[in-house]
Amino acid sequence: MNMHRRTKVRFLFILPAVFWVLIFTLFPLCYSLYISFHKVENRLNVTREKVPILDQEGNPVLSKAGKPRTRTNIIREKISIWTNVGFTNYKRLWGDPQVASAVKVTTIFVLTAVPIQLILGLLLAILFNRRLWGRSMLRTIMILPIFATPLAVGYLFFTIFYEVGGPLGFLGIPFLSKPGWALFSVILVDIWQWTPFCFLVFLAALQGIPEELMEAAKMESKSKSGLFMNIIFPLLTPTIIIVLLLRLAEAIKLFDIPYALTGGGPGVATQSMSFLAFRTGLRYFDLGYASAISYCLLIVVMIIVTLFFRQLRENYA
Amino acid sequence: MKMIKKCLVSLSLLAFLMPMASLVQAGKYVKWHSDGSVDLIMEDGTVIPTSSDELGGLFGQGEKPFKGAKITVTVNAGGPKGGISGPLYSFRPIWEELSGGKLEIVELPFGEHYTKMMLDLRTGTGQYDAFMVGAFWYGDIVPNGYAFQVDDLIASGDYPKWSYDSMPESLKQLHTWGGKGYGVLNDGDGQVLYYRRDALSDPKWRKQFKQEYGYSLPVPPKTWQQMLDISKFFNGKNWDNKDSKPDSGTVLHLKVGEQGHYHFQSLSASFAITPGPKLDRYHNVYWFDPTNMKPMINSPGHLAALEFLHELHKTGPSAQVGWSLGEAWDYFLRGKSVFVFSWGDVGSLCQDTSRSKIQGVCASSILPSSDTYYDHQSGKFVKTDNPQKVGNTTGGSWHGVISNFSANPEATFSFLSLMAIKPASSWLANNGWTGVDPGFKYQFLSPQGEGELGDFLDAGWNEADVKDYLNAYYENFFAKTSMTYLRIPGTFEYWDILDKNLSASMSGEISAKQALDSTAKSWEQVTDRLGRDKQLEYYKSAIGYK
Repeated sequence: MNMHRRTKVRFLFILPAVFWVLIFTLFPLCYSLYISFHKVENRLNVTREKVPILDQEGNPVLSKAGKPRTRTNIIREKISIWTNVGFTNYKRLWGDPQVASAVKVTTIFVLTAVPIQLILGLLLAILFNRRLWGRSMLRTIMILPIFATPLAVGYLFFTIFYEVGGPLGFLGIPFLSKPGWALFSVILVDIWQWTPFCFLVFLAALQGIPEELMEAAKMESKSKSGLFMNIIFPLLTPTIIIVLLLRLAEAIKLFDIPYALTGGGPGVATQSMSFLAFRTGLRYFDLGYASAISYCLLIVVMIIVTLFFRQLRENYA
Repeated sequence: MKMIKKCLVSLSLLAFLMPMASLVQAGKYVKWHSDGSVDLIMEDGTVIPTSSDELGGLFGQGEKPFKGAKITVTVNAGGPKGGISGPLYSFRPIWEELSGGKLEIVELPFGEHYTKMMLDLRTGTGQYDAFMVGAFWYGDIVPNGYAFQVDDLIASGDYPKWSYDSMPESLKQLHTWGGKGYGVLNDGDGQVLYYRRDALSDPKWRKQFKQEYGYSLPVPPKTWQQMLDISKFFNGKNWDNKDSKPDSGTVLHLKVGEQGHYHFQSLSASFAITPGPKLDRYHNVYWFDPTNMKPMINSPGHLAALEFLHELHKTGPSAQVGWSLGEAWDYFLRGKSVFVFSWGDVGSLCQDTSRSKIQGVCASSILPSSDTYYDHQSGKFVKTDNPQKVGNTTGGSWHGVISNFSANPEATFSFLSLMAIKPASSWLANNGWTGVDPGFKYQFLSPQGEGELGDFLDAGWNEADVKDYLNAYYENFFAKTSMTYLRIPGTFEYWDILDKNLSASMSGEISAKQALDSTAKSWEQVTDRLGRDKQLEYYKSAIGYK
């Protein structure tokens, strides 16, 4: 009996967490899924009536001309019409050139930015994992970009890439005015911001490799590349997969930097899937379609995450 | 004895001064005079003279008709000295003293204002009492019942007095819906052409131009084609000696998600509109076929205009594809381009010597017209020696609209109306930093209106500049043919689609034809989604098609 009661109490402790997940994760998830199958129209029916303004004693308040003052009482009837449209919003995705373009932009971005961040982060981590003059100071400087808000970073680089009179204006590169260059600029900014994250995690992983193991490996291996390929890299692989997974999941949701830096342009050259979902939902108020776009994005992210976790489990469980 | 004398003098002085003091009742921001005149005093000491009668029946000496009320108004972010937002700050202390209420100003970035407003209205939160809206938002707020109709408040005479009748018909339409008033007078938007008077009248350049193009350089250019020639001629030359670098012909603001598509709208009007005595299926229409809601945006006339815009773009800095208003305007104000066609803000910013190097040489005119237009009836281009001037109300004509969720619609109306009374509205138009552009009858100079040249000169305008400027706006708003304004449900989306496609085309990503065909295709989808029949009815009503 006592044991049974304790078990019940245990459940009480996790209730807040369950409540949190239900309210802030499951409800929006289910609600947006429901919206994605509907067309939502809102409007307001209004009737107005003039009512006299009374003072505290209940006497009518007069204007300076001696007229009784009135105020407008607005009687509001909110009308929300939800029309079930089945899979229409999902079908629209296939024929929509905006979606095709956003998928292309997101794919190019992810396939370019993430590998570069990983490689650069790894190289920097290896560099910083040895005796280096001013290492701790340099390391601190290196990781600063992580702490900046992506939106602020976007605006910061907007001034840097400013083509007439900006600090890089002398290069004559159309950073923001040509489609290819604009996407390149977005990638560049993301690399600038997130390479330090990869670097930091890799550095921690490198420093976590036992000294004695490294010493023994050094005795066994003749070349440094051999040491890296045969010992260090295999030991780092789980970390690399985790970092890759985190970066992929983040990169697919690309929004802040193009929002601030290019506005998704020129044209739709830097409009990512998330940006498109935002635009559709909160600019056009086509909530059903925006939810459908978001769900597709969610499914892609889930597939990637599942594949990676399966890989991790198979290799390292 | 001396003491008694002193007392008598003091008493007589008091007796003399007492009535004098009662003549003027001074608050910090409002002075009531016994003759019925009232001074509205701003923080910087500027006095706007008005009268007790003009302020309406509610405001009066010692009256605080909205004591305890708190109202919240949203506006495009610009700060206390920014365009459209600045005036709210200037009039806030005055209104608070008059009404006894409190005003909260919520500044929202241009790109987010519409979203925040619609979220507030759709969810019924009622966080905001009024919004300083662009007229193209009407289609999404009025038919859905979100906007508060103000006709009865105007008629009551209880509030600061202004009238829709002081607006030209083209602007009046933007503040009303179905013949009912919703917007409170504030700003009059339309694009005009700004050009460098000195460069275009310089004999050296004029001679060279004639040699090169075979005709005298027209000042101002009457057709877009002439303007392109002039723009090409000046582009790449260092015609403005303020620096050693070559200057440009025309500067444009083409950044996606901003206001680049307006350039196309006002430029393409004279290419794509078939002029006629009345508005019918073929004449004076621009956006959609008013019989079936099929987009006209990819008509040969529109396409010719976009191809022309490409040519014009080549005579300016290539970076302008990513430029917002501010960057393009500053380029012109720094003396780097001969032309810019944009809103009234440019004319007044020219006079701000902290930002402009071109005061006194900043001339303006109504936009040129194309010498060739597309006839939608015959399906052919028509070349004309005497192209018709086409006016426009391109832009937002930013003004206050009260939310039907407001708990204090009357208090809100009294604030918005305070900024709309004739002396306040004139003061706003005289002072460029306010972002309030002229458009109302009393803001134009005689004989076109009742405005006083002296008021503009006092506000720091150059005489030649202001005369050109006001004349340009008068011609624009009172033109015989005017571009119709799109304000149907979904306008924001229709324009956003156009904007994205135009930007893609201007940056070379897709061709002009692809951009307009893609726009038309997407517009069809929007129309179908929102309901073709319903959209058609709104469209016909918006443009006055019968």
